[in-house]
Amino acid sequence: MSMLKEDDAFSNSELSSDIFRDILDSIIVDVASESHRIARLGLDRNLDLEEEELRLSAEARARASDPSHSGEANGKYIVDIFGQSHPAIANEIFDCMNCGRSIMAGRFAPHLEKCMGKGRKARLKATRSTTAAQNRYTRGSPLSSQTPYSNSTSTNRSSNGSSAIAGDDYSNGNLEEP
Amino acid sequence: MSARNSSFTTLKPCKHLVDYKLKHGLKGYNLIQDSLKCSPYGTSMINKPKSEIPRCSFCSGYNGRFYMCLICSSVTCRVASESNHTLLHSESNDSHEIAVDIERAELYCCVCCDQVYDPEFDKAVVCKKMMGLPENGNGGIEGGEFRLSKRKRLDFGADFDLKSVKRLVLRKKQRSKSCFPLGLRGLNNLGNTCFMNSVLQALIHAPPLRNYFLSDKHNHERCCRKSPADKLCLPCDIDVIFSAVFSGDKSPYSPAKFLYSWWQHSENLASYEQQDAHEFFISVLDGIHEKLGKASLAIKDKEDCQCIAHRVFSGLLRSDLTCTSCGFTSSTYDPCLDISLDLNISTSSSSTDFTSKPNETIPVSTLTGSLDLFTRPEKLGSDQKIYCENCQEKQNALKQMSIKKLPLVLCLHIKRFEHSTIRKMSRKIDRHLQFPFSLDMNPYLSSSIVKKRFGNRIFSFEGDELDVSTEFEVFAVVTHSGMLESGHYVTYLRLTNQWYRCDDAWITEVDEEVVRASQCYLMFYVQKVVCNKGSDDMSCQPVLPLADPFVPIAGYC
Repeated sequence: MSMLKEDDAFSNSELSSDIFRDILDSIIVDVASESHRIARLGLDRNLDLEEEELRLSAEARARASDPSHSGEANGKYIVDIFGQSHPAIANEIFDCMNCGRSIMAGRFAPHLEKCMGKGRKARLKATRSTTAAQNRYTRGSPLSSQTPYSNSTSTNRSSNGSSAIAGDDYSNGNLEEP
Repeated sequence: MSARNSSFTTLKPCKHLVDYKLKHGLKGYNLIQDSLKCSPYGTSMINKPKSEIPRCSFCSGYNGRFYMCLICSSVTCRVASESNHTLLHSESNDSHEIAVDIERAELYCCVCCDQVYDPEFDKAVVCKKMMGLPENGNGGIEGGEFRLSKRKRLDFGADFDLKSVKRLVLRKKQRSKSCFPLGLRGLNNLGNTCFMNSVLQALIHAPPLRNYFLSDKHNHERCCRKSPADKLCLPCDIDVIFSAVFSGDKSPYSPAKFLYSWWQHSENLASYEQQDAHEFFISVLDGIHEKLGKASLAIKDKEDCQCIAHRVFSGLLRSDLTCTSCGFTSSTYDPCLDISLDLNISTSSSSTDFTSKPNETIPVSTLTGSLDLFTRPEKLGSDQKIYCENCQEKQNALKQMSIKKLPLVLCLHIKRFEHSTIRKMSRKIDRHLQFPFSLDMNPYLSSSIVKKRFGNRIFSFEGDELDVSTEFEVFAVVTHSGMLESGHYVTYLRLTNQWYRCDDAWITEVDEEVVRASQCYLMFYVQKVVCNKGSDDMSCQPVLPLADPFVPIAGYC
């Protein structure tokens, strides 16, 4: 334990490092006291389970990044668990419920878009005609994607999902855009 | 003595504490209570007079940790193991064995040289703190007004009870192990619809939702017959999907009618293009609610909506705003269907024992870390001052989120994209997020957060729901790969402890490590009590209508 020495024997830097050390010690004991309470009251009983999950996850990632690892079968030329293989573009044929025509499954969405008059291209066409413009306002209330029941803290929702891409690109998922 | 301490392991006090309590009871605690100083939102400590610095009664030193004896109030210091004057104090004064750490108001046994705990002491500290806080509206500590009805959580409907369902399920136990679980069927991509297929797979296998539709709670034939004019009914289209997926037919199914209906419901999302799976998820739940929920649900109406979408997914979030000056806390409650989380980028993994380089800490983003981030107290900027009712002026505030009520099925959404308003562009965060298969949501409950705010003292706060089940098991993970503009969604389903990859029409078996290494975007967890494990495994057997227990299921091998 250090006692305060005579003023003239003490340099400022020694004093400040002493004080710093005291503050640091105090903070460390604070953390230790807090952790002691958590451990003693059993508030961290899931710690072992959490560490196990972390370990498994790290192992999984290591194996996944290993080039020699076969990994998940990719590509659309694999056989599924029922022994079936499927073409890249779904070729089931059924009737469109809007117009009645026979449509191939993999091309149903683009067809339906035109069929229902939805989508950007259709909307662009519509702005050019006055009757269509009138219809737009009477078509019924467009639902905003932010319902009263969505997470109040989430702010990352665009009010309309359309993007610049409308091609026949088959790959098919994207995250929201501003 | 507060009896409801079931969340804490039973503490066995040391002999010295027991002796002290027998001799002095609560006298010392009450005296300490008077000299406690509790800051509005921080820790409690023993009040130190501003004119004097505490000095050790033995050595008159200022250094080290100070402890105040509960019997004679003399203060002694303890500086590591070199000089333990607290021990000396107890040795030179008979039975002066219990002291209080003046910095943190924690009990300390001078003989055991260890921190000790007593619920009655904690109660004294908490009560002092609560007295110091302004009278809260519906504040940090619950007032009598907001009461959660202690409704049974597994309340699906009058005729659905787990016991009878279990009986039915047990009769069908002779199931060959080589069979695949029922309800596994690929979904055809109709053109940029993998966002839809991925979420549908998760919904199809959400146990409460699956049970609802398979018990015929919304029969599409009966519904449409009732009101033919009201043709648009998303629940009916979902019922059709359930029938198709559980029919036993293994060829991929095309959810075309569903797409058609959904586009009519969500006009602003109706277009042939890549979309966001989370947005779709919310939109579908909205569609179900529209049809099956109460027509108008005013915010003031505290009665929970009973539509299946809300019964399964709806939880309650609590947001606390605390004035940093006076400690006045106001709480608001908002229902939520999911929780959107930011990736915790700044953390570094504390467990270095399993890495190859023990000295290197690799920053790992974890789901629990993201949840910690979501519930941490956040200092609002000085440009965001909140009007404090108690202070009657604008003050700096702390904001803290917590979960008041957990849903049956918890959907966690990872915010993987970043908006930069400066650069006017968005980018996707590909960073891997570790997520557990078993998740305990207890630390994120409002009761736990409030408890933590009071220093984890042993005290049962009003509004504590002790029988709440907080353990969840993951059953579906929607992953995203690729770029913001063009990517692909795949769902991993966990059925009877086997993981299946659902990539549109292709269903394959995968090892769990593939799932752990994947890039999760939407995670679906179900309460453990709802998803049974072991011999009564319900995840592979559908719930049959109680009227007809022995209806054979087509395709049941």
